[in-house]
Amino acid sequence: MEVFSDFQCPACKTLFTTTNRQLMDNYVSTGKVYLIHRDFPLPMHAHSRVAARYARAAAQLGKGEAVEQALFQNQEKWEQNGDVDGTVAAVLSTPEIAKVRALVKGGTLDAAIDKDYALGQVYRVNQTPTTVFHCKGQTYPYAGVMSYDILKQFLDQLLSQ
Amino acid sequence: MMQSSPFNLRRAIIWIGRLVLAGIFIYAGYSKIFLPIVHPRPSIGAALMFFALQVDSYQLLPPWGVNFVAHTLPFAEIALGFLLLIGWRLRIWATIVTLIMLGFFAAVVRSYALGLQINCGCFATPEPLTIKTVFRDAGLAALALLMTVFAFIEARKPHPWSAPEKV
Repeated sequence: MEVFSDFQCPACKTLFTTTNRQLMDNYVSTGKVYLIHRDFPLPMHAHSRVAARYARAAAQLGKGEAVEQALFQNQEKWEQNGDVDGTVAAVLSTPEIAKVRALVKGGTLDAAIDKDYALGQVYRVNQTPTTVFHCKGQTYPYAGVMSYDILKQFLDQLLSQ
Repeated sequence: MMQSSPFNLRRAIIWIGRLVLAGIFIYAGYSKIFLPIVHPRPSIGAALMFFALQVDSYQLLPPWGVNFVAHTLPFAEIALGFLLLIGWRLRIWATIVTLIMLGFFAAVVRSYALGLQINCGCFATPEPLTIKTVFRDAGLAALALLMTVFAFIEARKPHPWSAPEKV
């Protein structure tokens, strides 16, 4: 599953907090499903690209999931004041946030974000969140939030094919 | 004696409505059951559960309601499409099609007004729900309504090809 997501998008927050957490616990951690976060920062969101940079930098240190959770859970705060750095710093140790800041300032992360964005355009993603399911050569593009109950039934159908 | 012409506006609209709505309903049902956009072709169970995800994205129904709609609507659409084409008991099926179209229209308007970033799900394609979708559904609902009203009006008249009454 590839989830094209924007850290400043409220629907992406809903998908992450209500569905994808349970998905990670029940399908990803058991190895049934691979879940890939793809950055798709929408131009209308002022801070989403900055947030994507921090999340990518944290992922390079193995802290991607913790930072993703912090960014989504505190979305209303940092989208008001733009303090992405403070939000991320709250869940990392001092040496970790120093490394993350260095990576963000290094300017090399935008290429990876742009690559995700370009991939989204290949799949004709035009809104977030968009989830692209891949199973046995099949590709199912789906836009919007989904409840865990229905997603679980869909995944079980795919896995039983 | 007044006699209705076989070629009046009401009959034309009934025919247009039957052909257009039948075509749309049959294709909509087919695309949800067989998912022609996905290759290789998925199982019907997977296709219907994919449609269930799209029904769920409207955030209108509980999970059992989503499952019920996802597993019955595509078959009902195909059946209603063929019944419209055949024209047997047209008033009954036209009324049901109109109610369904008004239901679709209400769901689309609600989702658009709430700003839900979702796909329409109408033809199982990744088509975003936009103002175009709202206008399209409004047009089809209006066509279905006109077809139904005219079908009831025309049914109260003598058939245009029936033998004239003797005075």
